[in-house]
Amino acid sequence: MGPSRIARILSVMAGLCVAVGLYLGLVAAPPDATQGEVQRIMYLHVPSILTAYVAFTATFIASVLYLWKRDPRADAVAVSSAEVGVVFTGITLATGSIWGKSTWGVWWTWDARLTLTAILFTIYVGYLMLRAFAEEPQAAARYGAVLAILGFFDIPLNHLAVQWWRTLHQPSSLIRPGGPSIDAALLVPLLVNLAGLLLLYGYYVVERTRLERMRQRALALRLTRGRRG
Amino acid sequence: MGSWGFIGLAYGVAAVALVGYLIGLRARLKESGAILTALEGDGGRKKP
Repeated sequence: MGPSRIARILSVMAGLCVAVGLYLGLVAAPPDATQGEVQRIMYLHVPSILTAYVAFTATFIASVLYLWKRDPRADAVAVSSAEVGVVFTGITLATGSIWGKSTWGVWWTWDARLTLTAILFTIYVGYLMLRAFAEEPQAAARYGAVLAILGFFDIPLNHLAVQWWRTLHQPSSLIRPGGPSIDAALLVPLLVNLAGLLLLYGYYVVERTRLERMRQRALALRLTRGRRG
Repeated sequence: MGSWGFIGLAYGVAAVALVGYLIGLRARLKESGAILTALEGDGGRKKP
């Protein structure tokens, strides 16, 4: 059972979009008036966290569907999207730390946005650990769904943190009341990179869901065989 | 470290994470595919 047609299309589109995004972000876009060249980290950092938000929102929706319908396909999507979301949140934390060192002079500070992003990362790493170590698969899916639903509420809190608490992290410049506050020369590369990472997320989730469905099928076969003796 | 050093580090870390995840995912898909094929093959055989 190889990759589906949609996975192949997503992989090609993601590859092309990421290549164009890298060119626009690293070559074509002008340096920032205040931060200079190092601001180019934004073209990776901001799309990564927005992709993670999309991933955890998908996990939230799939978890609600699982608790409602008890459909293993919804659970497969939930765990797959959470795992990919953790990868993108890890990238956000790493790139943010590198950007912070170059502009603030520190790798880490207990700023509200940074702390809530670290909490978001911890919640979903905890979710994956819960899934991995639970002995009974259906209980793992059920407890995981509850944790995913509760953990989702860190996302609006994280996004609004820079408005509620004016600490070191700059306020949102893309998703904010009144529209984006950045110049078109910087906005276009940012949106192309966002599209690239969202396509990449789509490809990873489709493939990761295929893996989870294979595992579910293998488990069902083992259980059937066990019952037969 | 200069600006481009920080940029290279950030993009390098992201590339390692994304490519590493993809390589790991493909390995897990291959392993699960082999397990599933073996289980389905066993299911078709009659017990002696």
